[in-house]
Amino acid sequence: MRQVLIDYIEEQLLSGRSGIKVAAEDDLMGSGLIDSMGMMRFVRFIEDHFEITIPPEDLVIENFMTVEDIDNYLKGRKSA
Amino acid sequence: MSQIDTSLNTSNLTQSQLLLWTGQKLSPDAPLYNMVLTFDLPGPVDAQRFQQAFQHLMRQSDALRTVFVEEGGIPQQKVLPELDYQLEILDWSANAAALENEASWLANRNRVKFDLSHRLFDTVLVKKSEHHWMWYLNQHHLITDAWGVSVLYQKMAELYQGLSSDTLEEISPLPGFQNYVAYEHESRFVDQNEKSDTYWQEVTTKLPPPPGLYGYTGSPSTTGATRVSIDLGKDRSDRLRQLTKEKDLRSWTQHLSLFNIFASVLFAYLHRVSTQTKLAIGTPTHNRTTTDFKETPGVFIEVLPLVAEVWQEDTFSTLLERVRTEVNEFMMNARAGTATPALGQGFNVILNYIHATFGDFGDIPVNAEWLHPGHVDPRHHMRLQVYDFTTDGSIQLHFDLNHEVFDRSLLEKVPKHFLKILDAFIEDRFQPIVRIGLPDQEEQHQLMATLDAGKTTDHDQTTVVELFRKQAIESPDAIAVCYQGTSLSYRDLDEKSNQLAQYLGKRGISPGKRLIIYLPRTPEFLISVLGILKAGGTFIPIAADNPDHRVQQILESANPTMILTNSALAKNLGNSKVSLLSLDLDKEEIFSENADKPDVAPAPRDLAYIMYTSGSTGNPKGVMISHGALAHYVQWAKTKYVNEELPVFPLFTSVGFDLTITSVFVPLISRGHLVVFRDSDAGPDLSLLNVIEDKTINTIKLTPAHLALLRDKDLATSSLKTVIVGGEDLKLELAKAIAGAFGSTIRVFNEYGPTEATVGCVVHELDVSRDVQTSVPIGKPIPNMQALVLDAGQNQVPQGVPGELYLSGKGLANGYWEDKKLTEDRFIDHKFEAGSLMYRTGDMARMNKDGELEFLGRIDHQVKIGGIRVEPGEIESALNAHPDIQDCVVALQTHPGAIESGEISHCVRCGLPSNYPNVAFDETGTCELCLSFDSYQEKAKKYFKTTEDLGNLFTETKEQEKKNYDCMMLLSGGKDSTYALAQLVDMGAKVLAYTLDNGYISEEAKANIERVAAHLGVDHMYGTTPAMNAIFVDSLKRHSNVCNGCFKTLYTLSTKVALEKGIPFIVTGLSRGQFFETRLTEELFWKKDIDIQRIDDIILNVRKAYHRVDDAVNKLLDTSVFAGDEVFEKVQFIDFYRYTNVSMDVMMNYLQQHLPWIRPSDTGRSTNCLINQVGIYVHKKEQGYSNYAFPYSWDVRLGHKTREGALDEINEEIDSQEVHRIMREIGYTETAENHTRDKKHLVAFYKASSGITQSALKAHLSRHVPPYMIPTYFKQLENLPLSANGKIDRKALPDLNIEQPTVEVPYVAPETEIEEILAGIWAEVLQISQVGVNDNFLDLGGNSLGAIRIIARIEETLKLALPVNCIFEKPTISELAAHVESTITAMMDAYREQQ
Repeated sequence: MRQVLIDYIEEQLLSGRSGIKVAAEDDLMGSGLIDSMGMMRFVRFIEDHFEITIPPEDLVIENFMTVEDIDNYLKGRKSA
Repeated sequence: MSQIDTSLNTSNLTQSQLLLWTGQKLSPDAPLYNMVLTFDLPGPVDAQRFQQAFQHLMRQSDALRTVFVEEGGIPQQKVLPELDYQLEILDWSANAAALENEASWLANRNRVKFDLSHRLFDTVLVKKSEHHWMWYLNQHHLITDAWGVSVLYQKMAELYQGLSSDTLEEISPLPGFQNYVAYEHESRFVDQNEKSDTYWQEVTTKLPPPPGLYGYTGSPSTTGATRVSIDLGKDRSDRLRQLTKEKDLRSWTQHLSLFNIFASVLFAYLHRVSTQTKLAIGTPTHNRTTTDFKETPGVFIEVLPLVAEVWQEDTFSTLLERVRTEVNEFMMNARAGTATPALGQGFNVILNYIHATFGDFGDIPVNAEWLHPGHVDPRHHMRLQVYDFTTDGSIQLHFDLNHEVFDRSLLEKVPKHFLKILDAFIEDRFQPIVRIGLPDQEEQHQLMATLDAGKTTDHDQTTVVELFRKQAIESPDAIAVCYQGTSLSYRDLDEKSNQLAQYLGKRGISPGKRLIIYLPRTPEFLISVLGILKAGGTFIPIAADNPDHRVQQILESANPTMILTNSALAKNLGNSKVSLLSLDLDKEEIFSENADKPDVAPAPRDLAYIMYTSGSTGNPKGVMISHGALAHYVQWAKTKYVNEELPVFPLFTSVGFDLTITSVFVPLISRGHLVVFRDSDAGPDLSLLNVIEDKTINTIKLTPAHLALLRDKDLATSSLKTVIVGGEDLKLELAKAIAGAFGSTIRVFNEYGPTEATVGCVVHELDVSRDVQTSVPIGKPIPNMQALVLDAGQNQVPQGVPGELYLSGKGLANGYWEDKKLTEDRFIDHKFEAGSLMYRTGDMARMNKDGELEFLGRIDHQVKIGGIRVEPGEIESALNAHPDIQDCVVALQTHPGAIESGEISHCVRCGLPSNYPNVAFDETGTCELCLSFDSYQEKAKKYFKTTEDLGNLFTETKEQEKKNYDCMMLLSGGKDSTYALAQLVDMGAKVLAYTLDNGYISEEAKANIERVAAHLGVDHMYGTTPAMNAIFVDSLKRHSNVCNGCFKTLYTLSTKVALEKGIPFIVTGLSRGQFFETRLTEELFWKKDIDIQRIDDIILNVRKAYHRVDDAVNKLLDTSVFAGDEVFEKVQFIDFYRYTNVSMDVMMNYLQQHLPWIRPSDTGRSTNCLINQVGIYVHKKEQGYSNYAFPYSWDVRLGHKTREGALDEINEEIDSQEVHRIMREIGYTETAENHTRDKKHLVAFYKASSGITQSALKAHLSRHVPPYMIPTYFKQLENLPLSANGKIDRKALPDLNIEQPTVEVPYVAPETEIEEILAGIWAEVLQISQVGVNDNFLDLGGNSLGAIRIIARIEETLKLALPVNCIFEKPTISELAAHVESTITAMMDAYREQQ
């Protein structure tokens, strides 16, 4: 699952010549890797890819700070 | 270094560019899209190197080299391989004047008009001194956005450094903007995202209209705009940044958190300055989603609407929570190329939050400044630019305000008002927004001063008794009252009222007693008023034409000591225990009393009268008016309305209405007189016409509704000089028309005032040259009265903004008689004046630019259409401006299909929903269809036949000629038709099975069809047509379902095949429920002896008419064979289930045991057809119930389904995503128009001098009001209902569901006897209350079922059997009546000849 997320970030949001690699524990927004708009695009991708709907109240930085956080959040949803 | 793309590149514009291009085309000479920055460089610059660097920059950025050309009207962008251009260098260092004129140089340079087909930028390096330079860069928005400028600047700095240190090679090239253009096209046309498409589609259909800011509702014609800037300051900026760390305010980034705060504050602000609840603001989405795009100069941004609602109960925090969700959704769905002109229509305010930063220029610290070109796209009334360039500095707000929308005084107020809200947010975000008032103290005082006409002393320190007496002493012999050729002098009136007062005194009437006057308008009425007041009593007038019920209500509430009446009216009072004084029977006794003035006299604080007005609860409420308030009003009225000429007023309006107080007292304290017009039985209208004939009257007080009655009258010779209009909103158009008819000498006053503030307290004299709004302003308060316009939080609203009108001052009533609660509710503590009260009028008003009040309607008339507040008054005045409209009223009514789903019940027997149109339910909850079916169910059995009969049909024809097939079976693949096919085969019939493949039959259903046909060994064919999708769309528009179109296609195509192949019968699998649903109506079974042949004839005629209706099927398929009758003889339709009655169990058992039929799992339960759910979705949305509700009710009635089963099926969930997918596939657009039936509708009721079509009215209105304010329905009435006091009675307006539906023709009443009979039948069958002779049967909602019912009823009533197609061929009452008459005449002639 993590790789899917990382691939999207690298290929869609960071596409270009930068060649930046993303690690699961990178602070995605704090480090400026992606901005708010990129984040919401990413959320839409996650919704589409995993065929889920993320409720507005879950759209908080705690759930989406790093790829690891997102992974945990998505796993948490499944068990819930 | 860089690889530069030198190929000549032509491409289409991005959506964003296209909108900018269009905007520029609309204002070709305005520099609205000039994006100008100056970079102040306090350091040494090498000008040559700078120029060189710019050459490199031009080569690197394709955006800089882009120009726009039109090819065949389509704009294209071209990237030029190179630009022959040198950055300009100006040296001001030795030119003091130039340095001084920097501002004007900038202003001029900023306004340069770019030719779109040439270089779209202008740049200059200015030398101010050796160590002080300025780089000026002006680009057209078509080639850049704010971010793009920042990228260019950064690259410029790098290139300059690279040239200095000779490291140019190391500088990375800029990515090309054309890459984004390609990406945007891809995103728009190839890589669509369904969720996002749906989201924006929804946004588009639900967009609110742009708000009217400070009362401005027009469209500016100027692009001129002023920038007003404020610096939030370090402290405020810090506090804001601090707040973004709070959990409830924190978003993905600090910038986004700040954006959310500014957006919320802006929404709250816009709500407050427009009063609109649902609002959209335009805000840019940057579209730089990839790292490459982030480094590309060019225009990426698109402005899209962000929509939110501001609720009355919102705190900042609750609003922000919603805004945050909206912003997330917005960003999630904002994709490149989303912007459309339709999306742009919802907003006139832009919020732009800019945090682009500009680093140092090499080692020179830069100070960048955005310059405003003084012009803005005129569609944007306001732009708020938030500049947050540093993470810890001060945030700046720049308001770009269109000159036409914001006048000079508003320019200052806008930032103040905005700050007031922002500060309240910072202070306490958990406080209700409604608590915050926008105007500061200074503005509040200014507003109050504008509405203050000063104070006069002692006007309230007297009484009308005193004032009248003075006049009687002054002019005893002057005429006071004229009545039917007789008159009373002041002395007569004074003495007679003294006599009455003396008489009353003897009967125990003393100050404080309440007496009802229940008399027609006669001199006795006036004597009674004065007599009661002189005796110290309080009079309560009841007009003679009041219904008894209301008289009783007032009697009970007022509990009077005595009733002054006459012998005729006394009869209406029944056995009242209150003592009666009859002014006719007891007159000798009364007028033999002493004529001296009584010893008592009322004091100013005593109650003069109690006036009953209608209450919202249905009980009239008594408004208590003191002598002081009354004297105050009449003295003011005298000074205002009476000039040198002695006033002669008619007394012709209802005495139970406080408007009449003016006519009663003003002449009697001014040496004038009254001409009394007794009430006529026909109401006040007739009196008015007599009034106009009277050539002595010079002053009149009336309502606008009365005034409208004078439109057609010749007023040029009238003696009237002063017209005082009160009681209702006065439309300028009406006032002008009447004033014009009177000639130039007429003075027209618009007087406003609720009964609770004594007759009138705000007034405006009509000025035809100055008054421009649709309603005549109500003007300014009179002296000693104060008016306030307050919002829901009782804060003063700024000038221009609508609010509720509050009144205070000496004219206020003492409250409501014996209704403390209501009194406390309406008369509340004065918000700005301790110890005083203010009365909340429930009226909406605003202060216009002249400082006068404009009346905007009742708060409770105010209606909302999809959350948008609409003032019916505004629509009414626009309608009134139409030359043929005499009067009108616009109301909000619920479409019958629009009952909230929670309020729908279902027939206890069949499950039919209660919102199914035109069907009544009894008290047990049973629908009338079930009840009436009970009565003809037995008789209806005769219609059905046996399998044997069916077999005979085939053998009969078989014997006649040799056929390939005995019949064609329409095989849908469902259980009914499959079973029927098997039975036909069993019977030995040679069958051709025929299926219409409409493109949406489920795979499993198709498999069934093919399996079953093969199993039974019958030939099978599919029918198709390329026009299917167009037919679906037509059917959805015409019938809100897909089935009608599909059925008609099936019948058309199959009939043609049968005709070609010589097949004599087509067998349908229609269920018995469907027979009753579509043709077997109650009326067919009314006769004692059922004539089955006649029923069959009728049904055949319906079929003929059905095929000849002009719809998509007739247009798109070749239907010429149906023009003649031959086809109906050659191919007959047989309904299999007319000959067989089989229970569901038996049928299912048979299917399982004998046939390879498997219930499909890939469709809903109702059908084999996947598109069916689109029909159900649309039908539910537009009509409020499923299109299956009615057929299923018949299945239940006939025992083929259980009620619960039917309810389950009609309430089945619909996959709306799939529905929308199919809609797109077939090309059906769900427009707002299609949605209209599921909500409330504006209905315009009007009276017109001639017939006007609805489309003419719509076209007229569309020139005056926004589209959402155009009523859905227009109904012409002979007269608008008026209440007793001459106001339009909104409650008495006919309901939408029982009235004549929208028709394109003016109403013409039936005249002949036959027309009346026919109109009566139509009205009964179509369940409408009024049918005009030119109304079209189909427009009135008629269908073949209705036609059958009408034919049967005509036969019953006139004993005349007409063919059903008659109804379709002669679709109006007038044509049908003519036909009926000629048929009857012909019959009579034939009869006579026989004799």
